[in-house]
Amino acid sequence: MPSPADTPAGPVEEGAGGGAVALRGVSLAYGGRRARVQALDDIDIAIGAGEFVTIVGPSGCGKSTLLRLVAGFLAPTGGTVQVAGAPVTGPGPDRGVVFQQPRLFPWLNVRRNIEFGLRMARVPAARRTARTRELLELTGLADAAGRRPHELSGGMQQRAAIARALAPRPAILLMDEPFAALDALTRERLQEEIRRIWQATGTTVLLVTHSVDEAVYLGTRVLVMSRRPGTVVADHPSDLPRAPDPRTEPAYLTLRESVAAAVRHAADPRKDPHVHPVL
Amino acid sequence: MFRAVALRAAGVLALLALWWAVAAAHLWPPVFVPSPGAVWHQLVQTSTVHDGQRGYAGHLLAEHLAASLRRILLGSLYGVAGGVALGLLIGLVPTVRALLGPLVTFVRTLPPLAYFSLLIIWFGIDETPKTVLLLVAALPPVAVATADAVRGVHADYLHAARSLGAPRWRVPLSVVLPSALPEVMTGVRVAVGVAYTTVVAAETVNGVPGIGGMIRDAQRYNQSDVVVLGLLVIGASGLLIDAALQLAERRLAPWRGRS
Repeated sequence: MPSPADTPAGPVEEGAGGGAVALRGVSLAYGGRRARVQALDDIDIAIGAGEFVTIVGPSGCGKSTLLRLVAGFLAPTGGTVQVAGAPVTGPGPDRGVVFQQPRLFPWLNVRRNIEFGLRMARVPAARRTARTRELLELTGLADAAGRRPHELSGGMQQRAAIARALAPRPAILLMDEPFAALDALTRERLQEEIRRIWQATGTTVLLVTHSVDEAVYLGTRVLVMSRRPGTVVADHPSDLPRAPDPRTEPAYLTLRESVAAAVRHAADPRKDPHVHPVL
Repeated sequence: MFRAVALRAAGVLALLALWWAVAAAHLWPPVFVPSPGAVWHQLVQTSTVHDGQRGYAGHLLAEHLAASLRRILLGSLYGVAGGVALGLLIGLVPTVRALLGPLVTFVRTLPPLAYFSLLIIWFGIDETPKTVLLLVAALPPVAVATADAVRGVHADYLHAARSLGAPRWRVPLSVVLPSALPEVMTGVRVAVGVAYTTVVAAETVNGVPGIGGMIRDAQRYNQSDVVVLGLLVIGASGLLIDAALQLAERRLAPWRGRS
């Protein structure tokens, strides 16, 4: 698997070979004929290599479902999902996944967890060791390599989960509310870390969150999803200066407000000032 | 820690004292309630060669115990191996679950003595039917525990493994079984316990050497002190083995309840 381009940001032209992920007319319905639920409806998203795309939306809008479609855990009932030009037919090492819970393998220590994907790919021992050391250092876990997951804090577990997902050099890193289960301080530190890791590795990231602040702070592009049936209702490019802190920029507040407004509207269109309340 | 040990020791001593008092009061004849002294005497007698006689029924107590432990070990070993394999299949393959699930539950509810007669008809009266009996008794608890644990493994562990490039065929042994290990170990402890309670029954037929055979012979001659000695020996060794299994569980699955 070739590593993605080193360009840190900027969407790639549609149809270009460098597109990391392409969803075309994707919809997903589940349940029987009587109680059919339309979870996702006609979603078109193109993610270029090197982008950091965040998806934000009210709970139950199907944003995690969307991520699971790209991961290959679910198959869409309509439309196509492509990664690096090839249709997704199931999970694979070209898409690394970080879950809300770290889901590290509890019987393996941190090093063996990170090595898991490399062992599955039969990477020779020398290269495996080098790659693992690199990732341990990238995620600041060098001192914890020999420890088991249950001996680590939640933040360290999630770092290890990120390292494990990055090990096979996926074309895209899929993150499903990765910081939602952490305390506020740890969350902030890990948000900075993931930006740094993204810049250092040049990997493409698709991150799902319910936090507007997280979406705006992390993304180079912020997608807003509507309530069920979930569909993309807003697509904001974000090009905030990173130093000293993007959150102090006026542009941050402007973007934050328009994303927040879109999420509010998506969560409850009845509260929209232009629409008369039904009740 | 010290307090717990002291409490346990006090409990055992209190029971011993009660036993001694009841026996000494001669409420019942000694053939019903042998005194601690008589049982101690039998412990010495059965552990030594005396008057040209070797232990009890030609074997030392340690040899009786070793024979029983060997049967428990073999039966549990086969039972655990079969139970883990069967549980994995039942947990992973819906067809196997539908086919064999009810059978396992059926066998689990049968008292081992009920099918022991059949095993004797099939395999004779030597070691084979005893080992098979313990196997059949030990297998269902492990199979049920493994199957439940396998079905309880969070789907995201499997998703994570597949996303890391694990081929479908590697997932059961690389991810599912280790995930299920804590519950499997509990199943193993239950299985060894069942094997323990079954071994005495298995040894009622041609069971010498063996603690069960010793108890059976002693019963024929109303030697209640030997019967009680047999009970104490099998109980004490069972406690030791369960402690060893608990230790193994903590060593093999230290994350239990913490992940």
